[in-house]
Amino acid sequence: MATALTIGLLRLTDAAPVIVAYEHGLFAAHGVDVRLSVEPSWANVADKLTYGRLQAAVMLPPLAFAVSLGLRGAGTPLIVPMALSLGGNTVTVSCALAEALAPETGMDALAIGARLRAYRAGMDRPLRFAVVHSFSTHNLLLKYWLAASGLAQPADVEISVIPPAETVDALATGRIDGFCAGAPWGAVAAHAGVGRPLLPSTAIWSNHPEKCLAVSKAWADANPTALAGMMTALLEAARFCDAQGNAEEVAGILAQDRYLALDPAVIRDVLPTFFAGAANFPWKSHAGWFLQEMARWGLLPTEADRGAALGIYRPDLLRAVAEPAGISMPIGDTKQEGAHAGHWTVKAAQAPIQMGGDRFCDGAVFEF
Amino acid sequence: MKVLLADDNQERADAVARRLSDAGIVEIVRVEPGQRLIDIVEAAKPDVLIVDMSRPDRDSLESIREVSAQAPIVLFVDRDDPGFMQDAIDAGVSSYNLMGSSIPDVKPIAQAAVAIFRRYRKVAEDLEKAENKLGERDIVQKAKARLMKERGMTEPQAHKYLRQTAMNQGKRIVDIAWNLLGGAGKES
Repeated sequence: MATALTIGLLRLTDAAPVIVAYEHGLFAAHGVDVRLSVEPSWANVADKLTYGRLQAAVMLPPLAFAVSLGLRGAGTPLIVPMALSLGGNTVTVSCALAEALAPETGMDALAIGARLRAYRAGMDRPLRFAVVHSFSTHNLLLKYWLAASGLAQPADVEISVIPPAETVDALATGRIDGFCAGAPWGAVAAHAGVGRPLLPSTAIWSNHPEKCLAVSKAWADANPTALAGMMTALLEAARFCDAQGNAEEVAGILAQDRYLALDPAVIRDVLPTFFAGAANFPWKSHAGWFLQEMARWGLLPTEADRGAALGIYRPDLLRAVAEPAGISMPIGDTKQEGAHAGHWTVKAAQAPIQMGGDRFCDGAVFEF
Repeated sequence: MKVLLADDNQERADAVARRLSDAGIVEIVRVEPGQRLIDIVEAAKPDVLIVDMSRPDRDSLESIREVSAQAPIVLFVDRDDPGFMQDAIDAGVSSYNLMGSSIPDVKPIAQAAVAIFRRYRKVAEDLEKAENKLGERDIVQKAKARLMKERGMTEPQAHKYLRQTAMNQGKRIVDIAWNLLGGAGKES
């Protein structure tokens, strides 16, 4: 029988490709015997990957680096053979703060940031924001936007870590002024009437990479066929999740009690990008940006070997499974992050790929 | 030695506290339901922390280095003993050495917690086996995969086929799936 493996995930909409692949029998159809393990915390995912209780997981890229480099207790070498989603996080603030800032429709992230800075100037304490984990895209994107807006950390804004399910209560009781978390938590706070979306994370970095597939390197090396089967199933599921008219079904699957246990209507409207614009391609330039920002905020030891860390991203493995599946993938491993304000086309093996923009809120260009 | 115990399962937490107290640990602090783990850690400054792995707020511990001025060193008690760490994960308990106490002093505490958690885990697993829910779902998934591969159905078609056949025959979906697999799904 097929090689057995367990994939870990959290109750988040961007776990959709893994859940859909499982529920549609795509893993089995590609000869892989997959179990899913819904975990209550990122710490669990990281620990279970480290000690072989999970072979793969839907992962935050910065946490994949942290586990691989042993930055949070013992670690284990991981690889990132594909990305799973673009965008999907929201900066949500308390109703009081949203009213004070009163952003107009279409206002950009820096203009909103300037209002936040002015608001902070009139306060006798720092603003308090929350993220879901230190080694998260949410933390790095939020910090990037605050710094670009001239807000010092922690002098002007303190960032703490609280589980997403607690954000509603934390906003309601005034323990925090806002948070940056993945879908559907911004929408959940809005539905509960305690918070309002201030800006999507894509306003900080257009089409930013969000979740990735992290795989134990030891397992991947020993099971190349199963790895390819798992990735092919995930590519098919990602395409399904992105296709027009499938949002209702995807939301229905995710909403079930054993996954998100939420109202499907809340999930349906906040699905991120899973396939379009080479969403599954693990760009080395994405990895490079994450590592740069981790270093900037003291989350990466200065002596860490960044060259070796970049090797965790494996676009070569994705090309090898995408080609036989007839899915075009970029020829280069890097792109100029921040250089594309709008749609553009990237050279790819079969047909060129229509890409979305990758602009940073401050107009910076990340040279890999 | 001060031990902080974060476990909302009161009965299990009592059992761990009793075991530690029998072993001569005098200072045992409990995180009460509704209290924030990170607040209690920063206020109580324990040497060792025992945490139920099903707690979602375990992620906040990984930010201690970032948020705390005192910057206590968080080490997993057992990081250099992979076999013990696996036992702990399987039992559902995680332990942290916050103040850098020596491993020989701390390890028996972690071992005692793992032993108690393992006992409770076994009870939960026996119940799950009795329900056998997971097995049924796997059988349905395998049947769908076979319909998709051999009859070229899409997943919704395969699902509809199984449901319709089950309705027509007045049987459960899992029974139809089981028949379709010729009983081949169960042992794999």
